[in-house]
Amino acid sequence: MSPIARASITGLLAGLIAGCATGPGHTDAAGVEPPAAREGLPAASTRLTFVPEQVTLPGGSTAKVRPASTVDGLLVVPENVRHVGWWDGSASVGDPYGSTVIAGHVDSATGGLGYFSRLLSIGKGERVTVRSGAHRLAYRIVSVRSVSRTKLATTSPAFDQSGEHRLVLITCTGTFRPGRGYDRNLIVTGEPIGLAR
Amino acid sequence: MAPITINRAPLVLIGIASLALAGAMTSPGHAADTAEIYVVQGLPDQSLDVSVDGRSVDQGVDTAKVVGPFDVEPGSRTMTFTDGGETVLERTLEVTAGSSTDVVIHLPVSASAAPTVTEFENDLSSPPRGKATLAVAHTAAVPPADIRVDGKVLFENVANGESLTLVVPAGTYTVDIVPTGKDGPAVLGPLELPVNAGGLDRVFAVGDPTKKTMNVAVHTIATGSSGSDRPKQVNTGTGGQAAGYIAPLGAGLFD
Repeated sequence: MSPIARASITGLLAGLIAGCATGPGHTDAAGVEPPAAREGLPAASTRLTFVPEQVTLPGGSTAKVRPASTVDGLLVVPENVRHVGWWDGSASVGDPYGSTVIAGHVDSATGGLGYFSRLLSIGKGERVTVRSGAHRLAYRIVSVRSVSRTKLATTSPAFDQSGEHRLVLITCTGTFRPGRGYDRNLIVTGEPIGLAR
Repeated sequence: MAPITINRAPLVLIGIASLALAGAMTSPGHAADTAEIYVVQGLPDQSLDVSVDGRSVDQGVDTAKVVGPFDVEPGSRTMTFTDGGETVLERTLEVTAGSSTDVVIHLPVSASAAPTVTEFENDLSSPPRGKATLAVAHTAAVPPADIRVDGKVLFENVANGESLTLVVPAGTYTVDIVPTGKDGPAVLGPLELPVNAGGLDRVFAVGDPTKKTMNVAVHTIATGSSGSDRPKQVNTGTGGQAAGYIAPLGAGLFD
């Protein structure tokens, strides 16, 4: 599904349906066509939600966000170190529950320093903004912690889809060993500032 | 395909009522060249017969029951609701090929006014694994209301004829409906709503609180799931160029 808010799609569908020409239809005994059923509308407080397409870190640099899938237990992020990946089983931006997970390279053998190497110096209170087209939601960083790479899924709440909505940014940190990579993951957590718009 | 026939006595307005939803799923297996209509009977204390274009599709549909799906040709269809041979209401609706629509006959804001029919398009897109699409509709004789989930307002200021949709993790949620901006008294609930993964759960609040006929109709349609499994590992550093920027224990620890 495209990252357009469900609300917009519903509105569009409603418009298309309302715009259809009225067919001959069924008429009652008097030959009069009955009135149309009322169109159920989304309430004005409908939440905007979207799949992230762009992320902006403190300092203003921006990266494209691509959908990323889990293959054999490993989250496959974009090879291009300037891009990052949104886990396609995680929350949409603006959902009421669960983490929106974005992971990216700190570096790679072929690409050099990655976009998420900026996370190595991010601090609590700083802002990260995610966007899709004209839609956006900013998050305030509330936690910067690391975990052993083998314990990421079991010891940290990074992938939890229950509880209050949050943004979770993941990259690598710790000690680098050639051929084996880094021994730890860095987990940066942000709380939404208001609702997506 | 078994139609959903959820029929419950009016829920107790105070305390926790439980909705037995387990196994009550239909699947959207209809041909894409027809349209699918479900009927939600939201009028208290009435049993209705339902016709589409003059053809009877179901009889004796009790309050808060959901029946269907009825496969119909795309175009303008006429729904007729009768009670003991007397026409209660007749309305047309436009349906398109492959669409799925919930047609709800219910009370308007003022319970003394004539009943109305509202149609809601079913969004059958698949939520991520372990999640469900939850759509709550206000089709009861009450002014705009807040719908609270686990004590928090998730659906704000919803008016009669409106609905709100969210993607939520599977689980059991405590839902109540209160007047907009107020903590109570609840016009419905609190009630426990089990939500299963891989489906669209539509919840319709129906009835009239002044006559103690508030009730809910629940309609669940299986949608399947999207997205991939929860990762076990994230390996995002293979070059070592960043090693010089990593301060020892520069961040807090989870382990």
